[in-house]
Parts: sequence; structure tokens; C-alpha cells
Amino acid sequence: MDNLVKTELFKLRKDRSFWTLILGLLASGILYPMLIFFNDGVFGADAVSVKDLYAYTALGGNSYIVKLVPCILAGFFISSEFSLGTMKSIGASGNSRFRIYFSKLMIFSIGAVIISLTFPIVIMIVGAILSGFNDMPAMDYVVRTLGLTLLYAAAFASIMAVVSIIFTDSGKTIGFLILFFILFDSIFYALSQKFSFIEQIFNYSVFKLFLEISEFDISNGILLKLVLVPIITFVVFGLIGSLVFQKKEIK
Amino acid sequence: MNEYVLRTNHLSKRYKKQIALDNIDLTIKRGSIYGFIGQNGAGKSTLIRVVTGLAYPTSGSIELFGKGSQQEIIQARKRIGTIIEGPALYPQMTAAENLEAHRLLKGIPGKECVEKTLALVGLQGIGKKKAKNFSLGMKQRLGLGIALLGDPEFLILDEPINGLDPMGVVEIRELLKKLNQEYGITILISSHILSELHLLATHYGIIHKGELLEQLTVKELNERCQQYIHVKVDDPEKAAAIFETKLRTTQFEVMPEGTIKLFDYLDSPGSVSKTLADEGLIIEQFMPMGEDLETYFSNRIGGVQHG
Repeated sequence: MDNLVKTELFKLRKDRSFWTLILGLLASGILYPMLIFFNDGVFGADAVSVKDLYAYTALGGNSYIVKLVPCILAGFFISSEFSLGTMKSIGASGNSRFRIYFSKLMIFSIGAVIISLTFPIVIMIVGAILSGFNDMPAMDYVVRTLGLTLLYAAAFASIMAVVSIIFTDSGKTIGFLILFFILFDSIFYALSQKFSFIEQIFNYSVFKLFLEISEFDISNGILLKLVLVPIITFVVFGLIGSLVFQKKEIK
Repeated sequence: MNEYVLRTNHLSKRYKKQIALDNIDLTIKRGSIYGFIGQNGAGKSTLIRVVTGLAYPTSGSIELFGKGSQQEIIQARKRIGTIIEGPALYPQMTAAENLEAHRLLKGIPGKECVEKTLALVGLQGIGKKKAKNFSLGMKQRLGLGIALLGDPEFLILDEPINGLDPMGVVEIRELLKKLNQEYGITILISSHILSELHLLATHYGIIHKGELLEQLTVKELNERCQQYIHVKVDDPEKAAAIFETKLRTTQFEVMPEGTIKLFDYLDSPGSVSKTLADEGLIIEQFMPMGEDLETYFSNRIGGVQHG
């Protein structure tokens, strides 16, 4: 497992798509608060609250980033291994499919987590510098929201990984995943209005709960739910993915 | 130490109604260079994929280094180096980075093996050039380098000389011979360039439509390759009729240019020439002939009329 993890980490470090996405998010995270400040902030009429900037702009905007941007990484980091033929080397390397899959998933999740944390952290830092640390969010709020973002990014990554090994083609994977994550919430919500059991599933799904992580006041019970659901999702989809990969013939 | 590095027992693989491998019993002896011959779609790559764990057999089993259980086979694959259906490279990485990725995968300690392997396959000093910009020959060399990382005991090479220039082919051939003779590495090599295989292999397996038709040593092949009588007469059609009626054999082939290859009566060619002469035919050429591997293969998979 150790060798596989080291290999995947090496490949992530060398993955051009990963660094391109990070650079894009860094640039967005730096430029976006600047635009706000030029309009409304220290250079405008009202002082900008970093707390509001972080809670609404950074975390609000990040809800799309967490679900959509790692889809691109999934295509290039996982599916392309099949189209390049490099998965054959990995499959023939004398490691079990289970280990191969979980190493891949682990490092892909780390990549997805880095992608998911870049935008809110950079916005908060740049916003704080530009506003002179005006109305900063509480540290426990920042830690909680970033921690939950990490968990949900990993949960979504586990879903993306399953799709990536099914399609084995980066273009198809990226296209399908982006459409899926754009449309699934709405479809799931519409179905939940018609069928009560789907409503139950929806209410306890990462898709619904992810929208609640930026709430300021969360009870301990809800926080536990917000923590457990993505962990369970990661484990369940990790096992589903490893079973699919186990059965799959590598071409 | 087990005598065989690979044995398959009644190995079959079906895709719905299509039979990709049909009851294959293949054995590869330790220290041999096994030339695996077959047309496109004959089942060579399928067999290699099953052996390397990329595909699963429908029935039958394999033994690697004498190990037959699922877990043992997975472990035994660590002792194999592979090129399967072309070199598997990361196009955005340099040659050294590609080797480094595979060094980590195989858990080989120390980075010195990367430079050593680059030198071994003639890719030293290519610097920062990315694999996507390599020629096909360079990609093949790098693929071979990756297969050689970790000093494997068994190399499985699917078309390893495709795209190499003539000098490259010679270099790779010499390298494979050296690996086999000096380091005792067993090699399974499939190639369409049969003349090249003939210069390298010590054993052959011929697969056709998923069926392993024959396994033979180079000695046996050389014996069998000299197995017909080349006949040229003034009337080949009449000669063919004489073979069928007088000599009662259908083991011959009338070639387009009018010569005849007779695969029978190899022990008594005199009786053939006498019969032809007695029937009034003028014999222009009459001699025992050998075949090259290509012709033998072609005949073996049904390219000629063999009774």
C-alpha cells in the first residue's frame, strides 16, 4: 500500500491538470475579493466584513467548486490511466485491486480536498489583508467549515472515483460528472417531493447536507450528522468503487 | 526452484459467445525465450492479460513460478516485468520521471536504478524531453526500461520491437539475449516480426483463434521447417492429379507460379520422381526445401492444403 500511495502522490505532484486548477483557483481567490473591494470595500463606501465575505462569497462560491472542479481532476488523474494504458502497469504490478483502488482514491481525495480548500482560504486571507482584518470570522467557525469542506470534498471525490473507473475515458468522465453534479441536486430534490423515502435519503445525503455547512449556528446533533454522513458516503462509495474495479477487466 | 515460470491449465476465456482462449495448456520453462505467435485477434494479448491479472479467465487456472493460489499469484506478479499492448507511459513526464513513478510502484529502494536503466535502454542524456514528444522507438525503449526495473525474473513483452529502427531492433535483440543468457531472465515475447523472433526465441507457441495449436522448441521447429519437396514440372495440374490418384496423398500445395510443395513422401522422394517420370511429366526442379518461420506459421494456421 505504501508503494502505491507514494506512486500516486508522485503522479499527483506531476499532474499538470491539478496544478492548472490550483493556479486558476488561486487567481480567482486573489482577484475576486479585489473586485469586491474596488466596488464596495475599503476603496468604496462601506467597510467589508471578512466574516460575511468568507461565509457567503467564499463558502457560497465554493459549493460549486467542491462539486465541479475535482471532476476535471478525476478525468485526468483516474480515467486517463486507462486510456494511456498505464493502468495496465499498475494492474500487473503485483498489488491487489483493492489496494490499488484505495491508494488512487486516497490521493485523488487529497487532490480534491486541496482544490476545495484553496478558494475559501485564499479569499479569506486576501479579504483580511485588504480590509485590515475587519470583522474576522471566529476561528472555531473557520476550522469547522474548512473541516467539513474537507470531509464533503472527500465524499464527493469517492463518488467521482466510481464514475471515473466505470467510464475509463477522461472526456466522458468529466462530461458525465459535471452534468451529474449540476443536475443531480435538482432531480433528487424533485423526486424527494414525490416520494417520501427519497426525501429521507435526500435529507441525509451529502448533496443536501453540504449546503448547510456554512450555517453559523449548528447544534451538536446536526454537527454530528454533518460529520458522519460524508464519512459514511466515502466508505460506502469507496467499497462500491473497489468492487467495481475488482470485477473490471483492464484494457 | 520450479522448472516452469508459467503454466496454464485448461485456460479458457469467453466474451459472451466469442471464444478468446480455448482450453490453453501453455508451459514456459525457466530460462527460455518463448516466442508467442499468432495473428491479430488470435488470443495472444488476451492470454497475456489473463497472466498479468488484467483480465479474468472463464475457466482453467494459471501457475506463476509454481504458485497457484490467488494471493500467491498476485505476489508472484511482483517478479514480472511487462509491456502489454505497447509501452505504458505518462506523456507529461520525462523518461526519468516515468521510471521514477514505476520505481516507487515496485518499491525499489534508491534512485540510482533510474539512471542505470536509462543507460541500459540507450535513453541516457535525453534530459527534460517529455515522453509525449518521444519517437515510437524511444517510447518502446522506455517501456522496456520500465519492464526491466526491479530485476524481474520473467519478462512479458507484447510487440516490444514495434516502431524501432533496424539498429534499434538489433540493440533490443542483443539486450534481450544478454538478459536471458547472463541474468537468466525468462522472456515471453509476442511479435508480428517473425523473422526477428526466429533470431531470438528458444521456444515457440502458435495460437490461432484462441487455440494453442502447437508448442515447440527451436530445434523442433528447424526440423519441421525442412519438410517439403519442391517440385516443378511441365504440367502441374497433371502432377497434382497423379499425387492424388497414384500416390494417394492430398498433402501438397500447387503454388500460383506452378511449382508444387509436397509435404508427403519426405522419406522416399525417389518414388515421387519415378512416378512423375513414369507418367510422362518432365521434371524441371525436384528438391527438398526448408521454410522460414513465417511460412511454417502460415502453413500451421491453415494457409495450405494439408490433407
